Amino acid sequence: MNLAVNTPLALAGLLLALLPLFNNGIRTSPAPWTALIPADTLSVVIVGCLRLCAVAAIAGLVLGIAGLHRTEQSRERIGHGAHIVLLLDRSSSMDNTFAGRTANGSDESKATAARRLLTDFVKQRQTDLIGVAEYSTSPLFVMPLTENKNAVQAAIAATATPALGFTHVSKGLGMAISFFEQQPVTGSRIVLLVSDGAAAIDHDSEQKLRLWFKQQQVRLYWIFLRTANSPGIFDQPEDSRDDNAGAMPERYLHKFFLGLGSPYQAYEAESPDALQQAIADINQLENLPMHYVERVPKQDLSAVCYSVAAFLLLVLLGAKFCEVKR
Amino acid sequence: MEPLKDYRTLCLLSALIAMMVLFLYPSKQQKTPTYNYTFIVDITRSMNATDYQQDNQAVSRLNFVKQTLRELLQKLPCESKVGLGLFTERRSTLLFEPLEVCSAYTEINIAISKIDWRMAWAADSNIAKGLLSTLEMLQKSDSTVIFITDGQEAPPVNPNYQTDFSVLTAPAKGMIIGVGGLQAVPIPKFDSQGQQTGFYSHDDVPHRSSFGQSNLDPSQVKGYNARNAPFGSEAATGNEHLTALHETYLEKLGAESGLSYARLTDLKNLSQALQNPKLATEKVVQTDIRWQPALLALLLLSLVYLPRPYKSRRFFWK
Repeated sequence: MNLAVNTPLALAGLLLALLPLFNNGIRTSPAPWTALIPADTLSVVIVGCLRLCAVAAIAGLVLGIAGLHRTEQSRERIGHGAHIVLLLDRSSSMDNTFAGRTANGSDESKATAARRLLTDFVKQRQTDLIGVAEYSTSPLFVMPLTENKNAVQAAIAATATPALGFTHVSKGLGMAISFFEQQPVTGSRIVLLVSDGAAAIDHDSEQKLRLWFKQQQVRLYWIFLRTANSPGIFDQPEDSRDDNAGAMPERYLHKFFLGLGSPYQAYEAESPDALQQAIADINQLENLPMHYVERVPKQDLSAVCYSVAAFLLLVLLGAKFCEVKR
Repeated sequence: MEPLKDYRTLCLLSALIAMMVLFLYPSKQQKTPTYNYTFIVDITRSMNATDYQQDNQAVSRLNFVKQTLRELLQKLPCESKVGLGLFTERRSTLLFEPLEVCSAYTEINIAISKIDWRMAWAADSNIAKGLLSTLEMLQKSDSTVIFITDGQEAPPVNPNYQTDFSVLTAPAKGMIIGVGGLQAVPIPKFDSQGQQTGFYSHDDVPHRSSFGQSNLDPSQVKGYNARNAPFGSEAATGNEHLTALHETYLEKLGAESGLSYARLTDLKNLSQALQNPKLATEKVVQTDIRWQPALLALLLLSLVYLPRPYKSRRFFWK
């Protein structure tokens, strides 16, 4: 019960609640000598009660005016879910279709398909904390880990704007992992990488990423949106001379991820349907028990204050009509 | 009726009537201005120039913009919306679409604080083209574009290739906010680790555009050759390695694109500029007016229990 008021200054009005202690508010009748009237416990009790009613009524009105409310509460609960960072590729090729052509009316672009399916995915993950990072030539911090699904949807919707530059995946991964710093380790921590291409990662970055993945206990899902006739992540080189990160960055990025030592799963999606399948899989897999914080919104109590005050006013008014004039 | 002759009864009765009014008409409809802004923040290198002062410390233009926007966020009325985008090269990108400020305050606040010049995906700073592409990109959105920049074009624009804002079909709604001081200051230079390694020097930057057709008068250019050296043989000199707020240029861009212009000096002047009624939409919101009848009831009730003058008390009580 954390109570608070909107306008603390109005609480000064509580001083008015002391008034009934000095004046019982009952009409007086002249009597020759009050000492003649015998002491009556019942009268004392009734007068005391009426005073109390008046004090409470005044206090109720003042608290109502001050805007008494219960502050937003957070309750810790245990549910199923995950902390997910969506790492989205904003490189220019994402604006092409799965067939590698410019998107037209009949075929949607890879970015559009990803946006549509991610929107659905976020809708289904009610208890998760979700953050959004993007990368092209450089990483973009978009939305911190949050339970506010509207914010996540707004960030996903904003990827409808034209894509940017090249694919610099290592910096993007670094930024995605940084989301988990200063976050409690509970449930699973996931980086969901959605990209349509890969890039060679330099040795320094490889070392750092290995360390960070281990430190932050992050699981990685890579949804690779494969364009027709482009190399895939599971392709074997036909010529051993092509077996290097420069010629086959997808294969080598996959190899690097496999060697991370943390749980990793790759999906190669060649169509929107395959992408949907991949997302459905993740939706099912990532439901470890997790502590999460449920927000109980601010609760206005001034209505209660006013109702109590009104009821007490009615009682006081009723008492008035019981007074007898002699 | 006997009790009605007592002023206290009348007071209590009126107070009760006031309470009935309170429950019957708890709120009234009121028009309040709300805003829908999409802030597009310039993150090019010149925004790292430190020509703002905060707590007696020099801060960079970008940091000052971030700080001011975060403070502005607290001032915006609920139901207002804020979106965020970044500008570099010759276009901008949208990080998120406008979000309601009260419910998503933390998220917007963190996102603004995380803006970094290193998010730039390319290094040019072609503001006129960036502004045009931003306006085209957000043409369908009902959000007001607030383009925050220092007006430093890098490389400088060739006057033969000026951006034509007439392609905009609908009149743009928004504002250009000029950032920076009017005195030219050096632009900090950083290494790949993000450490400052000094400032950009005269030789680090192009001082004129050498793209396309020359805008120079051939007879005045030394070493002019129409095919091989249309800009002459002499190295261009200039002060492009220093940066100052190009106010006249931004005002010109504003006039061409239909946006108004204001300069950022502090939070007060920014919020004043942004609270332009032209940018606001009147929204009908329910305002709580229960305090009015409640206050009346409170006064009436207090009247009942007001201490009696001493004289009458002595007469009746003792």
